Amino acid sequence: MYGNLVVRPDDIENWGKKVHEEDPEKLAEFEARIDRGEKIEPHDWMPFEYRRQLIRLIEQHAHSEIIGALPEGTWITRAPNFRRKLALMAKVQDEVGHAQLLYSAAETLGKSREAMINDLLSGKSKYSNIFNYPAKTWADTAIIAWLVDAGAIINQTTNSKGSYGPYVRALERICWEESFHLKYGYDSVVHLATGTPRQRATLQDALNRWWRPLMHFFGPPDQQSIHTEKLVRWKVKLATNDEMRQQFLDMYVPKIWELGLTIPDPFLHKDPDTGKWIYTDPDWEEFWRVINGNGPCNKERLAVRRFAEENGRWVRDALRPKNAHYVTPLA
Amino acid sequence: MLENLQTLILALADDDLFMGHRHAEWIGLGPILEEDIAFASIAQDETGHAQAYYQILTDLGLPSPDEWAFRRQPQDFRCAHLVELPNFDYDYAIALLRHFLYDAAEKVRLQALTQSTYEPLSLLARRLQSEEKYHWLHARTWIERLGRSTEEAHQRLLAARDLLWPYAWALFEPLPNEPEMVSAGWVPPSQTLREEWVTLIQPILEPIGLWKEPPAPAELTPLLGARHGHRSPYFEQLYAEFTEVSASEPEADW
Amino acid sequence: MNSLDPRIQRAEPRLSRITEVQLPPLDHWPTYEVFVQRTRGGHAQHVGSLHAPDPDLALILAKEQYARRSQCVSLWVVPTEAILWTSAEDEDLFHPATDKSYREPQGYLHTRERLEKYRDRLKPLS
Repeated sequence: MYGNLVVRPDDIENWGKKVHEEDPEKLAEFEARIDRGEKIEPHDWMPFEYRRQLIRLIEQHAHSEIIGALPEGTWITRAPNFRRKLALMAKVQDEVGHAQLLYSAAETLGKSREAMINDLLSGKSKYSNIFNYPAKTWADTAIIAWLVDAGAIINQTTNSKGSYGPYVRALERICWEESFHLKYGYDSVVHLATGTPRQRATLQDALNRWWRPLMHFFGPPDQQSIHTEKLVRWKVKLATNDEMRQQFLDMYVPKIWELGLTIPDPFLHKDPDTGKWIYTDPDWEEFWRVINGNGPCNKERLAVRRFAEENGRWVRDALRPKNAHYVTPLA
Repeated sequence: MLENLQTLILALADDDLFMGHRHAEWIGLGPILEEDIAFASIAQDETGHAQAYYQILTDLGLPSPDEWAFRRQPQDFRCAHLVELPNFDYDYAIALLRHFLYDAAEKVRLQALTQSTYEPLSLLARRLQSEEKYHWLHARTWIERLGRSTEEAHQRLLAARDLLWPYAWALFEPLPNEPEMVSAGWVPPSQTLREEWVTLIQPILEPIGLWKEPPAPAELTPLLGARHGHRSPYFEQLYAEFTEVSASEPEADW
Repeated sequence: MNSLDPRIQRAEPRLSRITEVQLPPLDHWPTYEVFVQRTRGGHAQHVGSLHAPDPDLALILAKEQYARRSQCVSLWVVPTEAILWTSAEDEDLFHPATDKSYREPQGYLHTRERLEKYRDRLKPLS
């Protein structure tokens, strides 16, 4: 009845193999709970597949945050005034903080943080593709803070209606902090858009370069995606890629046009009859090339994380308590 | 008198400005997520403190904090060389020990400033003390633990100590016209602050084998003149990066 | 590494020499659970967990991760292993089996009704 959960960190790999041995009664109770809108908590019975998919989802999200800290982190030392410098420090700090919250949420499912980081650094686990592109100029940081964070918010708001308690709780805090990011990003964009001709030009250039990665952000079109009925049933996946992409376009294309910027897709328009945005197919070959390791910054992103981990090893080794043993975090 | 006040405030502000800047280079690259987050707060605090000091001058009709930070000539800065030093080799021992030596000086400085006859300074110093309390707690906890941990940690801290030692002592180089500032009651003599600083850090560093004799004059002399506008060899690259975007369009808003 | 990031350039050549990293178990330290008391008079509430090497650093690190924006009058940390918890299977322990309204205010809704009935019976006699 009482106890704490001691899980060997690499047990996860074996669990997937037991997926056909699920107890049908327990599975029915589990699914009924989700249907009632109740949350699943770490100590509940759950199907192995649910645990496995959630770890993958939350872990990837965590990796995206820590990697996402890099393109903007680049510009902290070069920020052009106090307000921007402080805000950018706070924003990148938040990304690191989100990674911490998300690794903790994934840990409740039984995978250790070390195992997750190892999988990131070996290339086994993925992170959001958009961070494999370089932030070439200050204007890039404005576009990222506005539009990439906007995409992330849509994703996170959607997922915050999910079924797993710890992930939902982490997302609630993350969504709240992201709302500052969005305001900061938009403020930076507006300053550039209403600034000097050169500022406007660099902003337009940044948008031109980031548009296709943004169109890729929510993942491949629904017809190309793997069928995920179970994930929908279990409230792990709560909206389709296309649904979220449409939401993004609906919310942000008018705002982009309002600034007098052009979007590098002359075909982009809203169908008056269906209310859906029509756009040029954004080269999904590039998406797959980049996510499989051949983007402009893939090698650099992982090299930097390897460096950070290795560079900090002596610090962590120095203070590690002698008789420590691993206990899965609670919630 | 205004010139003396400006010198005093710039010395305080410029120290915090570049200390915050150097700390901020670690954001996203820290030794573990939790410490990355904590150190990022310290970086923000120092940067914010700089802005608050400059604001005292702005309130007197002088330029804005952004202009003070982003639009000066190297020789017009009044920071100590300690804060100009790069994060050599991304060595966290250097980062932590510098933070320890610097924040000990801040603790002593701020406590003195709360008694300043110049009211804007004493009021600001009182406000800043709550954040500096955290900085000191963070710094001393880390150094006390690391200093008693592994052989590797100890060796790294010793090397960091040898590198940083003269720079830390040079924090207390007397300011230009300091006797006038002292008789006005704005600030105690730098020597007094240095002695209080030694009293604070020696009992912590000595038991963990990190204390040593004050630097010899020969080590200290090259670093003096910082408070009069003499910059370290590291300043040029530091400030070029600092102003890369702001200088690209000097009249623009960002 | 040819990077646009000046911080990364400064980490070279050591950065590019690190090609493989394998973190052993507990490399990132054990965990603590964090509780924040937001206001005087309020309960301390669980807000999450963090990795730390000892209780003092757990408090110091928790302050920034869990209270840098949040209102907080007191912060608690507890080693995760110190916490005992009831299992999901035992959630039924918290379900009462019989009517226990005798110990709730709403178990006493009929008192007034009884008095009204009694007074109604008395009225024709006066």
